[in-house]
Amino acid sequence: MNATFAASPSNIPARTPPTPADVDLSSRTPLLWLFGGAAFWLLLASVCALIASIKFHGPGFLADQAWLTYGRVRPAAWNVLLYGGAMPAGLGVALWMLCRLGATRLALPTLAVAGAQLWHGGVLVGFVALLRGANTGFEWLEMPRPAAVLLFLGYLLLCGAALATTRRRTERAFYPSQWFLLAALFWFPWIYSTANLLLLVWPVRGVTQSVIAWWYAANLRVVWLGLVGVGLIFYFVPKLLARPLHSRALAGVTFGGLVLFGSWSGIPGSAPVPAWIPTLSSVAVVLGLVPLLATILNCWRTLKGQGRAAWADVSLRFVLVGLVAFVIASLMYAALGAPYPGNLWQFTWLVPAQDHLAIYGFFVMVATGGVYHLLPRISGRPLCAFCVRVHFWVAVTGIVLTVLPLAVAGTLQGLKLADATVPFTATVNSTLMPLRISTLGELLVLFANFIFVRNVWGVLGSLGRARLADFWAAGTAPVKVEEVPG
Amino acid sequence: MTPPSSPRVAAEPAEPKAGGVAMPIWLIMLLCAVGYWGMVYFDAHGGRFQAQVYAPYAQLSEIDELQPASDTEAFVNRGKAVYETVCALCHDLTGSGKPAQAPPLAGSEWVTDPVERIIRIALHGLSGPITVLGEEWNLAMPAMGAALPEEDLAAVLTYIRQAWVNKSPAVSVEEIRAVKAAHAGRTQPWTADELKKIQ
Repeated sequence: MNATFAASPSNIPARTPPTPADVDLSSRTPLLWLFGGAAFWLLLASVCALIASIKFHGPGFLADQAWLTYGRVRPAAWNVLLYGGAMPAGLGVALWMLCRLGATRLALPTLAVAGAQLWHGGVLVGFVALLRGANTGFEWLEMPRPAAVLLFLGYLLLCGAALATTRRRTERAFYPSQWFLLAALFWFPWIYSTANLLLLVWPVRGVTQSVIAWWYAANLRVVWLGLVGVGLIFYFVPKLLARPLHSRALAGVTFGGLVLFGSWSGIPGSAPVPAWIPTLSSVAVVLGLVPLLATILNCWRTLKGQGRAAWADVSLRFVLVGLVAFVIASLMYAALGAPYPGNLWQFTWLVPAQDHLAIYGFFVMVATGGVYHLLPRISGRPLCAFCVRVHFWVAVTGIVLTVLPLAVAGTLQGLKLADATVPFTATVNSTLMPLRISTLGELLVLFANFIFVRNVWGVLGSLGRARLADFWAAGTAPVKVEEVPG
Repeated sequence: MTPPSSPRVAAEPAEPKAGGVAMPIWLIMLLCAVGYWGMVYFDAHGGRFQAQVYAPYAQLSEIDELQPASDTEAFVNRGKAVYETVCALCHDLTGSGKPAQAPPLAGSEWVTDPVERIIRIALHGLSGPITVLGEEWNLAMPAMGAALPEEDLAAVLTYIRQAWVNKSPAVSVEEIRAVKAAHAGRTQPWTADELKKIQ
């Protein structure tokens, strides 16, 4: 379709594109490893998040178990959610998209399976270490070094399979989602190695450590999650509506914005570092609103007049909720990074509300939509449509009931903290009721993740049983005359 | 193995294509406008990349104005900081004292009179009746200066002797060391009568 990207027959050997069914079969095992683990970690993360949430209005809850105290459960919840749940789910859908968009089978599937196993092993090591009290002390990088090594190696293997697949593609022209996914593939090894080396292996001095930790957190949560999540949105919205994405140029603006502006953001205005660093960060988040506008415009034009059709597809419903969460979470992020109202909202409940909306509301919902679309295709097992719809509604209610009360509590807290006549205890007490409601939200998210595990593991169990039956049938088949040695 | 395509999975549309609609001109203009704002904002708040400029200050010139003009001024500034954390709770930020807590320091003859007296009060404390500015006080002052570094003590006493209406000479670290050496081992606070004997 695009002449500049078309292959010249002389240097690229012509391959016949495989059928979609072939592509799906080739990616089955690695994807099932990624999704099976991701669903389990999501459930575990929401159990930890629920315990951490209860402790804010019931401080005595599980307080006598050292490994279940707040300081351990909270980092465990967020790290397992991000590294265990969100990233493998996104990576799995990304691998599948790279196969489908490149019209090729997954290259090096064994490497991808090993990568997924190492990754999940890393999350397991990190989770146990966090509950045992080992914590690096840097937010979003809490898992200690052995876990980081496993995660890094696992990622490199997955990345190798993805790049080999892209190299072998038979459809040479790139669709915008491929830019996003390939950039994200390269982004993580760069930021993860830099942050680990400069913070844990050869720590830099003084407040420079904080700058690197903020830089890493912004690059992981804004750039990496943004690239993969928006890449998925730009794929599934047009695909499932069977119409083209409105504009390649606008997608380019979104891409450039995430990479250029997202990567300098994240240094809070109150940071105790020379003024130019937080000022530059503030400018970056405000500049980032322009690519956000381009994203909204692109999706809006693609969806125009197709709202009913879009809502009818339950996978697309997940993606659309993720899109709305992305827009709101990006606006909240810009507000936190801008000088005002960032100075009001910093150090309040609005910060975890934004994290929750960005990671769970946006990324996990979009990736879940992708998983539900492709799982029946790679496994040949249909999903229970009712269970998927229940998952959707429970998850949406859970997100709203978690994020909205925390945002309200954060705003109240910010206004009261800014008022010198309000005693500190009164400020804290006014957040109690929203915190109780958010615990209810966390409970619903836990229930939603339970349904997700049930849906994904149901497919895994069904495939496992079929395989066992094949094995049994082959083993117990009567011996044919020809097989008897003479 | 089960074939991956199943009749129960809905047919799937082809892979998506991207449309060729150009970027709207207003979005480019908006990006330029926000970029211009960004440069103006950075110029106004960024401190021109100077490593010495921290929020809430925005320019190096503001920081320069806040620097002490001389070593003497820096010494008095240090004393002011010590006074505000150690002394001001009872003697008040204005040096006017507080009823039933501490007598005034501003204009007090015990502050401005021979330096030997105020050093002893700060080092060992003071108890019993004392007349300050014609008013009778009977309280106990703890040995607040004993735990302070000698430089901090010299700085705060200098500040007290030169702040508000007071115009007495500075207190040096050597003077404090001399008093400490002369009364090494003393644990009892001074009384007004004892101090009056020291000139």
